[in-house]
Amino acid sequence: MIRIAAAGDLHVGADSEGTLRPALTEIAGHVDAVLLAGDLTKAGLEEEAEVLAHELEGAGVPVIAVLGNHDLHSDQADRVRGCLEHAGVVILEGETHVVRVSGASLGIAGIRGFGGGFAGASATEFGEPEMKRFVRVTVDAASALRSCLEELATDVRVALLHYSPVRDTLHGEPPEIYPFLGSYLLAEAIDMAGCDLVLHGHAHRGTEWGITPGGVPVRNVAQPVIRRAFGVYSLEPQTRLARSAASP
Amino acid sequence: MTDAPGAYREESLRQALATDPRVMESELEVSIAGSRVVISGTVPTEGRRVAVTDVARERFPDLEIDNRTVVPTFPAAAGEERVT
Repeated sequence: MIRIAAAGDLHVGADSEGTLRPALTEIAGHVDAVLLAGDLTKAGLEEEAEVLAHELEGAGVPVIAVLGNHDLHSDQADRVRGCLEHAGVVILEGETHVVRVSGASLGIAGIRGFGGGFAGASATEFGEPEMKRFVRVTVDAASALRSCLEELATDVRVALLHYSPVRDTLHGEPPEIYPFLGSYLLAEAIDMAGCDLVLHGHAHRGTEWGITPGGVPVRNVAQPVIRRAFGVYSLEPQTRLARSAASP
Repeated sequence: MTDAPGAYREESLRQALATDPRVMESELEVSIAGSRVVISGTVPTEGRRVAVTDVARERFPDLEIDNRTVVPTFPAAAGEERVT
């Protein structure tokens, strides 16, 4: 069994010293990896990343993360990323990472994603250059996510996002802002490539549990949603051969 | 600003709370009724909870600020969900 601890929307600031470390210490011995679903910092400042890096010191297990919109706010994403990577955190943006767990393998495809809305009420790559650029960001993110998932030949595959791929986990948010919270294109990529679990954040007033149209479990792990420092999810490793045999 | 229609005043404060470096929380709820401004939602730290009042008071110095935001205390984890 592979156990993952996950959380999003930590919004770490200069005043966050000591807010994460106790929980991390408590769970670290019971999980195989910690996954962070973006908005790691309050304003995307390097000094905030330094506070988080200090909080994550001594985690004892691999920590893998994607950045969120807050992490990009101050145009210092490279420095935020560099600071966290220096502390041993793996930051993914259209990339994959594999963790070995007692003879099994956990593959993580990570990308921030973006908005655009959901089937029946989504933005279209049409009209003004600004609108086409907006939608193109999500189209490209979905394409990269699919490639990453297809590249992973691991026993368990997890998609780690900041934006949501489904409406389900947004319930509780005003429907008017759904297009700013995620996109069905991400779910389409996940369903086409296959995946065991999707983790995302970003929607603080949403709901933890959801599922893609293709049946992949989705969990919104934003801390205000899960109401705990980390959600812990366990997955039974399955070889790709066994997975193919089980598919109809 | 205090003479603008309520919806504009509420949204101006909501935008300020989302972008002011002291707070930066975009999911706070703001309502203004008469002379009272009510702000609710969660913020990660006590410092940011105090800053919510500061930002609101700077924007609406003549109104009463009722800051109902909370700083939640989360347990480390609560059990484990078996996904597959």
